[in-house]
Amino acid sequence: MSCEPFNTWMSAYLDGELADDERRQFEEHLASCDACTRELDHLRRLTEDLNMMRFEEPGDAELQRYWGGVYNRLERGAGWILLSLGAIVLLCWGAFKLVEDVIRDPTVSIALKVGLCALIAGLVILFVSLLRERLTVRKLDRYSKEIER
Amino acid sequence: MDETENLLLDRCRAGEKEAFGAIVRKYAGRASGTAYLLLGCYDEALDASQEAFVRAWRHIKRFDSQCPFFPWYAAILRNVCRSRMRSRARHRTVALTEGHADPSGDADPVLLAERNERRDRLWRTILRLPLPLREILVMSHFQGMSYKQIAEALRIPIGTVMSRLHSARLALRERLVAEES
Repeated sequence: MSCEPFNTWMSAYLDGELADDERRQFEEHLASCDACTRELDHLRRLTEDLNMMRFEEPGDAELQRYWGGVYNRLERGAGWILLSLGAIVLLCWGAFKLVEDVIRDPTVSIALKVGLCALIAGLVILFVSLLRERLTVRKLDRYSKEIER
Repeated sequence: MDETENLLLDRCRAGEKEAFGAIVRKYAGRASGTAYLLLGCYDEALDASQEAFVRAWRHIKRFDSQCPFFPWYAAILRNVCRSRMRSRARHRTVALTEGHADPSGDADPVLLAERNERRDRLWRTILRLPLPLREILVMSHFQGMSYKQIAEALRIPIGTVMSRLHSARLALRERLVAEES
């Protein structure tokens, strides 16, 4: 009798993941196949060993250190967000003031004014393009959606 | 999910960091161990599992309170580990699916409870399996996920879970036998 459809069912059988009719078919096959019975015994021992493996529970001091590490990152995360926001607001305001002064100043040459406007337009286009790329990658990246689960 | 955990998660959603601290302490061992089995480096495992907790906190409002916390967290952790392995593979020009966990020889099962020679050997052999096989073993045996949960997490059919897990166990057994002989 061919073992072909049954040998890939062994793990599922041990894990109780076969449907009732599959389980019955598999057990009928086992009753007539010594090779599969032996193979199943080997796999059962390995599965039992794997199921017995556990991670060590850390001690109190270790847990405190671990949580301390997470807490510091949480706090720093908020700090970085505020710092970045503040920097962006100040930079934008400073740049706006600078451009305003240069544009209104009649002593500054037209070429310099055009150059400055082109520089700012270029920066805005690059920023929007990068932002759009980031958002598109985020949308297409299958792993980025795990937190939605 | 037990009632205490449910209450703690409700407090987390309300922004209480101390409640999140209790959740972190509860799962720190499993989280670091899982990360270790995926990354194969103790320091990186601690760092990745902490980063995953930070991400979980930031998105805690999206967490469905009807579901248990750890599978949700484990999915985030898996992504953190995968992204670290991707970056590691980029630097070493090794395909992610071929990459083994143990880049530095740091494979001591320090995070394993009730150690003995056989379990230590199993641990080291798991770390030498290719990522897709190692990952499915971790999900099935160390995270206690059902085939349906694994299929959803990896976005593969249940039939593929069945065959991949079987292949992982066969590969593990072959390597153990090869080592013993």
